[in-house]
Amino acid sequence: MRVSMKWLKEYLDINISAEELAEVLTRGGIEVEGVEYLNKGFENVFIGELIELQSHPDAEKLQVCVADIGREQLTIVTGAQNIRLGDKVPVAVPGAVLPGGKEIKPVKLRGIESNGMLCSAKELQLEGVGLDRSKDGILILPPEAPVGTPLEKYLGLNDQVLELELYPNRPDCLAMVNVAREVGSLLGKKPVLPEWAQGEVPIWPEEIKQKVEIENPELSWRYSALLVEDVVIKPSPLWMQNRLRAAGIRPINNIVDITNYCMLEMGQPLHAFDRDKLKGAIRVRLAQEGEKIITLDGMERNLDPDMLVIADDNGPVAIAGVMGGLETEVTHQTTRVLFESAHFLGASIRRTSRKLGLRSESSSRFEKGVNPYWTVSTLGRVAELLLELEAGVPMTFTEKVAYLPPEVAIELKMANVNNVLGVDYSEKDVEQVLEALNFAYRKQPGGIYLVNIPTYRQDLRIEEDLIEEVARIQGYDRIPTTLPSGSQTQGRRTPEQAFRLHLRKLFIQAGMDEVLTYSFVKKEQDDLWGTGQSIPLLNPLREELAIMRTSLIPGLLEIASRNTARRNTDLLLFEIGNVYWPKELPLKELPREVTKIAGLVQGQSKRHWLAPQVKYDFFYLKGILDEVARASGMEFTYRRLTSEKYQKLLHPGRSAEIVLQGEVIGFIGEIYPQLDEEWGLERPVLFELDFAALFRNCNLTIRAKSYPRFPAIQRDLAVVVPDGVAAENIKKRVKELGGELLKEVEIFDVYKGESIPKGHKSLALSMRYQSEERTLTDEEVNSIYTAILQAIQQEFGAEWRK
Amino acid sequence: MREEIQRIKQETLKQLEMLKSPAELQELKVKVMGKKGSLTALLKQMGSLSPEERPKMGQIINEVRNQLEKAWELKEKELEKEALAKRLEEERIDISLPGFYRPRGHRHPLTKVIEEIEDIFLGMGFTIAEGPEIETDYYNFEALNLPKDHPARDMQDTFFITEDILLRTQTSPVQVRTMEKLKPQLPVKIIAPGKVFRHDDDATHSPMFHQVEGLMVDKGVRMSDLKGILLYFSRQMFGENREIRLRPSFFPFTEPSAEVDVSCILCGGEGCRLCKGTGWIEILGSGMVHPRVLEAGGYNPKEVTGFAFGMGVERIAMLKYGIEDMRLLFDNDIRFLEQF
Ligand SMILES: [Zn+2]
Repeated sequence: MRVSMKWLKEYLDINISAEELAEVLTRGGIEVEGVEYLNKGFENVFIGELIELQSHPDAEKLQVCVADIGREQLTIVTGAQNIRLGDKVPVAVPGAVLPGGKEIKPVKLRGIESNGMLCSAKELQLEGVGLDRSKDGILILPPEAPVGTPLEKYLGLNDQVLELELYPNRPDCLAMVNVAREVGSLLGKKPVLPEWAQGEVPIWPEEIKQKVEIENPELSWRYSALLVEDVVIKPSPLWMQNRLRAAGIRPINNIVDITNYCMLEMGQPLHAFDRDKLKGAIRVRLAQEGEKIITLDGMERNLDPDMLVIADDNGPVAIAGVMGGLETEVTHQTTRVLFESAHFLGASIRRTSRKLGLRSESSSRFEKGVNPYWTVSTLGRVAELLLELEAGVPMTFTEKVAYLPPEVAIELKMANVNNVLGVDYSEKDVEQVLEALNFAYRKQPGGIYLVNIPTYRQDLRIEEDLIEEVARIQGYDRIPTTLPSGSQTQGRRTPEQAFRLHLRKLFIQAGMDEVLTYSFVKKEQDDLWGTGQSIPLLNPLREELAIMRTSLIPGLLEIASRNTARRNTDLLLFEIGNVYWPKELPLKELPREVTKIAGLVQGQSKRHWLAPQVKYDFFYLKGILDEVARASGMEFTYRRLTSEKYQKLLHPGRSAEIVLQGEVIGFIGEIYPQLDEEWGLERPVLFELDFAALFRNCNLTIRAKSYPRFPAIQRDLAVVVPDGVAAENIKKRVKELGGELLKEVEIFDVYKGESIPKGHKSLALSMRYQSEERTLTDEEVNSIYTAILQAIQQEFGAEWRK
Repeated sequence: MREEIQRIKQETLKQLEMLKSPAELQELKVKVMGKKGSLTALLKQMGSLSPEERPKMGQIINEVRNQLEKAWELKEKELEKEALAKRLEEERIDISLPGFYRPRGHRHPLTKVIEEIEDIFLGMGFTIAEGPEIETDYYNFEALNLPKDHPARDMQDTFFITEDILLRTQTSPVQVRTMEKLKPQLPVKIIAPGKVFRHDDDATHSPMFHQVEGLMVDKGVRMSDLKGILLYFSRQMFGENREIRLRPSFFPFTEPSAEVDVSCILCGGEGCRLCKGTGWIEILGSGMVHPRVLEAGGYNPKEVTGFAFGMGVERIAMLKYGIEDMRLLFDNDIRFLEQF
């Protein structure tokens, strides 16, 4: 809602700047988005009359004119073609800076000095001002425009507009009279409002001139109409045009302008029909299957049976509350007008307007809720203005009232005010608020007020609403700062929440950077990596964000790709987030939200003068995962992929299923050759793990053991085995063979090369033997060592490497 | 013989003076005191001396020997010292060279801020509640006093999956879910961080972002308590000198409702670019839980009251870390992430 300070001051005797008022409103709960100075850029723009006009002697496309601006006569060269001798036009004199920032200086144009500029509507950022001819260039003002008057004065631009950002609970402030009431109660001033603004006019007796039927009283409670004859269509007076413009509405003609003006005053949307184009009774009803209407904007609209329309005997003449029909539009030929002032249910208007993709000033007001009590008083104001503007003769009113909501009275208890707010207000404090708001009330014993709520405050329905009014008008600053007095509670994370944080920190410690990606991704990519059963959005932002992810991998690939394109090629990324797995599609119940941990590594460690670079490859990532597992009391095992799907996505020789307690809980692997190129990546290695499985198996309790008292004996063993033999299997078998004295086996070197036969690799294992009871002898260890060596020679075709 | 002894002594001391290394020292030692050394040779000649002379000479030789030993020892120490000094000189490194470290990873600023918010409220006895990111219309809207076709639904553009299932537009649905679970237990004291989604994508809006919801329900909870809790939070989060102010606002699920501003973290209230000259920065929405929401959660609004608040994590992170463009948070450029 755009509120003109000038207009507001007509109702309220206030002496306060627009900025100060904006602050008062904002602190009072009506947010002000901004203050606009309407006259910005209009200094040094005057109304001038073209008293001479001739072609430029040296330029075909230019004209030279003399403009009389009262105090002087200026020679101006212009390229405009739409001007005529005697026209009244805006003249910007040197020194002017137009609203768009254009500076006016004297210039020489083809040898003739031009001392100013004739302005177009566009240059002045004015819309809907001036004669029709203005479209083609310079703004042509009506002949009666006074020469020499500053344009801002003539157009009423010495004004400021507050742009109110209204919350949905205050549609009442879409009416100037109610804004005046609100400002009045915040400043402790009583507004002086005309009689019609009091609203509640008794319901009129039904008249017969125009028959009105409301067929759907649940969607339209009241329909009031005013018949006007001897209508003369002409421009509305300048003062009205100026106020409309300040409010952001374009003046059209007197009849349309009156409907808009009264809407701004009272908040009640109005519609004007050409009465002679209506046939028979007016019906407020739902559209019938297959009905159509051409709306005022010239578009043909197909109507659905749940859309409320205004119809005559021939069919729909307006989409109720949204837009009128072209056929019954008021034109220059119109002599009889029917003004409609009705109530339509917000929800219905909202649905219709959404479905048609058609919003209007009227529909947005109905959606927020229009006061059904004010239909008639608004028509009364219309009648008054019609006479004042000599625009027509009001003949008869007519109306149908299906329902009027009962007037509301709320019990407000002193005790509740103080208990809910935590304040210590006196009865005087509360009464002060009720009086500032101009709410009638009855004081009852026990600190109870019975408060009558005016019909325009539809947001006040329960006691809490009134408590907010008390808090608001007294000022929220009066509420003290306390701490809750109830029983003490202990705050701590659940084991699951704590484990999630634990994992997050482990990955960070391991050097990985946490990323955060959108939960919606491109279907094609998710199908590739996820379950193939993704939940589509009905209204996605764009195709790349169309479905809810079933895997974290595409999001990571996307980020890696973006980083790599920016030459951040060395990446260690991980994300913890949900994927969404439907039980069935289309969705009938909420899907499973499954937490996954996924990551991507690529490139190598930074160059350092002390240490060689380490490749971020399969083993680098595997090491991180194993450490995360160890630090969580678990151990992962790895086996070759069995899933056909992943065999196509990951390098079959460089990938594995991650197994925990016999259950596959994720995968790790280098991306399949060439798939990385599609993303502009180079051999990234990926993993994904299931959080729930980790949480089920984790063991964060620590049981400390003392260290052994007897010394350990260290032995190394190097063997050459065929490539096909998994190092892990040798390690396992060695551990078995070593029995309980062999405490630890590690693979510390893997070597392929010159001295090793083709198709073979050399493995070096380190073994630690130790007893809890005694010091081991070399002989003891040597015999175990020999047994191990013999067994793996036989079982794996291994050869001892001395 | 005496002269001979003195000569050996003088000579040896002289040579000792000029020695440069422990090896030379050893060599000299052997030359003088070794089996074939000059002093040893003199000792061997002692047999030819008269019995009266012998002990005298023996004493003299021993004296010289001791003197030489001492000199040797001194020289040895000196050489050691020299050697050490030399080693220290040689082992001098360029301390300006970079040290070696294993780079740590980095938290995403949003999860970092969420954890920090969690910790502040955990410290005040709140627990952390969670709810689904894909929600029903009922929990996201209706149970929060936002019936179908309510104009306030326009405040939040919603991503729909079906007519009744949607991406939650706020963390507020966790309010009712938690109350349903806990009723009739008191007090209810939770915060609920999480992802939320709105159909919006421009420089200042992301279609996915994060909120932290707060809810406290108990007998006799007051709006002044809300103010107290939020003041404590603001000071923990933004510094001890912060003040807050409440402004009337509207949320369907609270009444009274309040927008909460914190005194500007950049200028402290003087007015600057960040606070647009007002000295205040809006950080969250809050209010007293609407009776209908308490009812939906299974509590009797005649017996209990509550407060609720909701804050945008992105906004808090941007304020806290001085991030000017929200899009950076979802861009995931590692050069940006490495700052956290
Ligand atoms: Zn500031």
